Amino acid sequence: MKEYNIEILKQAARGLLFDMSEEQYQTLMSEFDIVVAQMKIIGENKELDKAEQMVFPFDVSTSTMREDVPEEPLSREEAIRNANNKIGGQIKLPKVVQ
Amino acid sequence: MNYRGLSIDELHALLVAKKVTPLELAQEALALAKKDSNNAFEYIMEKEALDFAVSLTEPEDNNPLWGIPFVIKDNFSTKDVPTTGSSNILKGYVPVFDATVVEKLKAAKAVAIGKTTLDELAMGGTGTSGHLGMTFNPYDRKHERLVGGSSCGSAAVTADGFVPFALGSDTGDSTRKPASYAGLVGFKPTWSRISRYGLFPFAPSLDTVGIFSRNVKDSAYVLDVLAGHDDRDFTSSVKPVDEYAKDIEKVNPKAKIAVIKGIVDSISDKVVLDKFNETIEMLKNAGFTVDFVEIDEKILSSLFPTYFVISCAEATSNNANMDGIKFGPYYNGQTFEDVVSQARTNGFGELIKRRFIIGNFALMKENQKDLFLRAQKNRRVIVNAVNDILKEYDFIYCPAAPSIAPKVGEKSDRLSNEYLIADNHLVIANFAGLPSITLPIGMKDGMPFGANFTGRAFEDKQVLQMAYELEKHTGLKNIVAKGE
Repeated sequence: MKEYNIEILKQAARGLLFDMSEEQYQTLMSEFDIVVAQMKIIGENKELDKAEQMVFPFDVSTSTMREDVPEEPLSREEAIRNANNKIGGQIKLPKVVQ
Repeated sequence: MNYRGLSIDELHALLVAKKVTPLELAQEALALAKKDSNNAFEYIMEKEALDFAVSLTEPEDNNPLWGIPFVIKDNFSTKDVPTTGSSNILKGYVPVFDATVVEKLKAAKAVAIGKTTLDELAMGGTGTSGHLGMTFNPYDRKHERLVGGSSCGSAAVTADGFVPFALGSDTGDSTRKPASYAGLVGFKPTWSRISRYGLFPFAPSLDTVGIFSRNVKDSAYVLDVLAGHDDRDFTSSVKPVDEYAKDIEKVNPKAKIAVIKGIVDSISDKVVLDKFNETIEMLKNAGFTVDFVEIDEKILSSLFPTYFVISCAEATSNNANMDGIKFGPYYNGQTFEDVVSQARTNGFGELIKRRFIIGNFALMKENQKDLFLRAQKNRRVIVNAVNDILKEYDFIYCPAAPSIAPKVGEKSDRLSNEYLIADNHLVIANFAGLPSITLPIGMKDGMPFGANFTGRAFEDKQVLQMAYELEKHTGLKNIVAKGE
């Protein structure tokens, strides 16, 4: 496991596109100490090496194709009504490619 | 007449006899909601509720939910009604569609009167981290005790008697634990039994729609409406649904019940233990087999860290779309990254930022094997142990929580067995996707506490029947927190 320190945690936060105050990072460091101690408990389970990962509790069989049923789609206005920066019926953002 | 605290059956009888109308019930529930002192509401749906209630004029005798008021945890999309997930990142967000469960309850003519508070984006277990602040426990008018979470608002409103049922969600125990703290029935059906279309995802391998009520049969009525496959949720099961309220009194008289000794041993509250043991005697005297069984303590102690890593990792991914662009408050910036970063920095609360970072750390390439994949393997170990018990026994039965609702600010030793096991064992049912129900069994210092049955996958009916049976013996049904 990667060593953790405040810089690593800050990198993780910035990778998620948010930031916290220095005090909040300190709180997180204390929490990490506890989380890592708790994770060590998992390592003590003897059957772990032989176990397969579990992603979902069980397989759910479902149909993969549905009938094509014509419906009214959302109007453009409805589709973007929750966006708070709009112009000319489009969402407005700074250029991605400068 | 005062309809506060009445059950679905009682209200239904009054509605069918035309002694009350849906409009009158909605008006009373709304009046109570406006005077709520527990900070349980995000939004009161006054206009929506009254407009709908007034349209319900001919009672439907065979529809127990006709005209019945209810509330919705604010992580379910409600068309044209603000839905925030109790997070500032969704301030002002108004969905353009209803969640399937909301659609189904509307179609059943139940009347939604409000959206209720939760721990932010359902990531919490105390009822303290929502953007409107703490939600209080109606059983404690001094506001010193939690109601638990994340479904805090739905629990508080139901416990206060405003409505007979509420929608919650349950990823680690978020319906069943607050139910214990608030004297309620809290039911988590089998994973995939109810469509999650329109439920904000937190950890989809664990998330389940939950139901609060004040008696077991009311939860069964709601499951009757909600259960079933939904083409819009590909994880929803195509298995046939049961009739859950029908024959609810017909429990299997030969049912075998397992009590996990390690869970009971991790509890120190004598009042809870004594009452729990009393209920075991009730069940034995009623003819059921009740045995104490063992699970390796290492497995039990690993429940919480396994849940924490898996849920944080899934949550990190599932909330990547919260960017302030398509919805939520927009912040100007020089670059696209600035815009998103400001939205997420200002929009997310501190607690969930910490959880996202932990999740991101667990998913880093260097850490996946030791953290995330290890947690997924351990989930398999836990589920195998539980399913082995359920090969021989029909139900697992345990105290739902180590004690009554904690006081605000009470700290736990997060490496103690009481925290790791007693406080977090309900997650077993989420790991294995099993139906699980909490119901009240006693009171201490004026505060309720509960016990929990978990059954085999898709045996939701049997779990409801077993809970109904115990409820008959305890007599603790339809209890309501004392009003103002």
